[in-house]
Amino acid sequence: MNILELKNLTKTFGGLTAVGNVDFEVPKDSISGLIGPNGAGKTTIFNLITGVYKVTDGKIIFKGQDITNMEPYKIADSGITRTFQNIRLFKKLTVYENVLTACHANADYNLFESVIRSPKCRKQEKELKEKADSLLDIMGLYDRKDLIANNLPYGLQRRLEIARALALNPELLLLDEPAAGMNPDETVQLMTLIADIRPKFNLSVLIIDHHMDLIMGICEKIMVLNFGCKLAEGTPQEIQNNPKVIEAYLGVEG
Amino acid sequence: MDFNYISGILTLAGINLMAVLGLSLLTGFTGMFSFGHAGFMAIGGYTSAMMTVKFGLPFIPALLIGGLAAALVSSVIGKLTLNLKGDYFCIATLGFGEAIRLILDNVQYFGGARGWPGIPHHTSLLNVIIINIVAIIVLANIVRSKHGRNMIAVREEELASQIVGINVFKYKLISLMISAAYAGIAGGLMAHYMTFLQPKMFSLVKSTELTIIVIFGGLGSISGSVLGALVLTSLPEILRTFSEWRLVIYGLSVVIIMITRPSGLMGGYEFTPSSMKKLFTRIRNRKNGLPNHMEGGKTA
Amino acid sequence: MSQFLQQLINGLSIGSVYALMAVGYSLVYSIMNFSNFAHGGVIMLGAYFGYFYLTAAGLPFPVAFIGAALTTCLLAVIIERGAYKPLRERKAPFLYFIISAMGTSIFLENIVIATIGPTFRTYPEILSRTPIQIGSVSVGRLDLTMFIISAICLALLVFFIDHTKMGKAIQATAYNIKASALMGINTDLVIIVVFALGGFFAGIAGVLFGMKYTVYPQIGIITNKSFIAAVFGGLGSLPGAVIGSILLGIIETITSGYFSSQYRDLIAFVLLIAVLIFRPRGLMGKVTEDKA
Repeated sequence: MNILELKNLTKTFGGLTAVGNVDFEVPKDSISGLIGPNGAGKTTIFNLITGVYKVTDGKIIFKGQDITNMEPYKIADSGITRTFQNIRLFKKLTVYENVLTACHANADYNLFESVIRSPKCRKQEKELKEKADSLLDIMGLYDRKDLIANNLPYGLQRRLEIARALALNPELLLLDEPAAGMNPDETVQLMTLIADIRPKFNLSVLIIDHHMDLIMGICEKIMVLNFGCKLAEGTPQEIQNNPKVIEAYLGVEG
Repeated sequence: MDFNYISGILTLAGINLMAVLGLSLLTGFTGMFSFGHAGFMAIGGYTSAMMTVKFGLPFIPALLIGGLAAALVSSVIGKLTLNLKGDYFCIATLGFGEAIRLILDNVQYFGGARGWPGIPHHTSLLNVIIINIVAIIVLANIVRSKHGRNMIAVREEELASQIVGINVFKYKLISLMISAAYAGIAGGLMAHYMTFLQPKMFSLVKSTELTIIVIFGGLGSISGSVLGALVLTSLPEILRTFSEWRLVIYGLSVVIIMITRPSGLMGGYEFTPSSMKKLFTRIRNRKNGLPNHMEGGKTA
Repeated sequence: MSQFLQQLINGLSIGSVYALMAVGYSLVYSIMNFSNFAHGGVIMLGAYFGYFYLTAAGLPFPVAFIGAALTTCLLAVIIERGAYKPLRERKAPFLYFIISAMGTSIFLENIVIATIGPTFRTYPEILSRTPIQIGSVSVGRLDLTMFIISAICLALLVFFIDHTKMGKAIQATAYNIKASALMGINTDLVIIVVFALGGFFAGIAGVLFGMKYTVYPQIGIITNKSFIAAVFGGLGSLPGAVIGSILLGIIETITSGYFSSQYRDLIAFVLLIAVLIFRPRGLMGKVTEDKA
């Protein structure tokens, strides 16, 4: 079963085709990868999936439903969350507040109830706080929960962004260059983290990255993008041996 | 200085505070700046005066209807303008604020530019204080609920808020409507204090004054807004003896505040029991040579 | 029909003065992305300086005129150094600039009231009041002069922007301030020049405005309308500011002529709102897209 299907996905900006006729399926519960040279259109695809950009042509199907051009917040609500290439945390808020804010979808008390602090409001607030605490604990951030997000070391900021994304109970997690700026040690930690949270949170994961040790080490299926179009797709083994991929990445021998 | 004089200043400060509290939700917590909130005060003021004068309604219901009217108008304005980028939204609010004033200038039913005298005097220091206390409690409860957190998220990072499932437009609109309602009630309080209404009481200068108070008190701080309203309303009144130079000093102070301490009096912090406790913990920790964030007594 | 032409000419004349004011807003916006609300105060002071150079100092008109413009030019640069540069250095959000601008505007308006007093001053008669006949319309000499002076100034500005090195530096900085700085353009100097230009034209506009109407401290608020013209034409676009101003001048005069002058100010704000709702970037403004 595929949790996400991109059908003939196309995005043009004026005369420039950023993404051209891309077909791709993300199997449920898998960890898939999206790689390609810089400017290949990978982040654009993430932006299309999450509704940040409007699709020029094609469809995006999530859990069997057409979510093409839905509002970003609705897409998030329906189960797709993401992290950003240039970390977009709520930088001036604390670690705890970042996650607690994201938990909002788990409570449904309305504005009036919040004003009078109704029993429902108080009960749900307590549940939100417990959920935030437990998430932080699982992600190993609990003892720093009162630090300002901006003051966290870089690796932990990325982890916080993932924690925040998980607060929405997503079924599909999109990670945009989660290993950027990390050394080999931190990258291994990240791999373990992703492998850990997948069964714990019942996730399917789609990762964009340039760290081949991460991608080849953890992904079951990979798509290679070049100049906005799909160059190849397959298992890590197949991709590594694909002559077109080698040519695009490494150049042809003279 | 006699009691009446002080009471008068405090009442005016309280009226300003009501509008400032509302604006604080929009600007301090949701991150949207408005230069037209005097327009919402005007709508509330004229509507509530119409209720008491022409329909004989009692004071509190009239105030609430004034606030409601302002909120309704703001929802129309919001639907039209909330999709605009930051500074364009700002300019739009300026436009609407001035347009409302100019329209009122031309509506003879409300006295036009010459004004509308004879509004019953209902506002007293006591009811201003009580209304403000209720307003503060309502605001504080909103801010510490998930709705308040969502507004703060919109202020911090709009794109990330969307991704985290927050309906940014809806929250901006709610924030705008509540802020307009507060301003409308403030307008009603003003009308029944001055017993007189004139469109030029609600000009761009007034809107700017409100925004300045919010910034002066510190964005994102309710206690800052309270302090700011008290200080910035009473100071000019006390300086009234130097009447012509009062506004010169005011203008100059605004520039100086912006250059030196734009984070305002409270810098975004609040006077709450838990923040006071944290403050004492920090002071005690510093005395004992411990890092700031540790609870007293625990070691690493 | 001749009445209509008459209104058109009046509109053109006040529109051209608005244009002189509006380019100041547009230039600053194109570089710094904020609306300089202190501009109105500078225009107002231009009117006052011109008046005092003419009457108290007894200078001949052309000298007083240029003198006023030079004084406001200097004033605008001082305001930039004092009220905006510190904010630029700490990379404050644009909102703080607007507040600082408003504070400056309040300061300027009231320092005039406190020192000189709020009484209206009238410029002595420089030009004869008899209008000139062109075909079936009579054009006031003052209106004609206003139009000609504004046109000359705007033409000089266009020449400066398009054909001088500093002008090109301004264009580059307006396009992308960071990249320009990296390319070796002294963006600080560019900003000073832009404010100086805006200030100079503000002085000219102020004197013309003062000559046509009267001189009083609240002129700054009236001239906010030129800001609306700049938005209408498209913030950041000089030709837009000019076209927007002329159109605004004409719309205003026609409204005032055919309906009532009470609606004259209101129509300006209705126009502003309509532009922001339907076409926020105005007639010719620059479009900016956020990259996610």
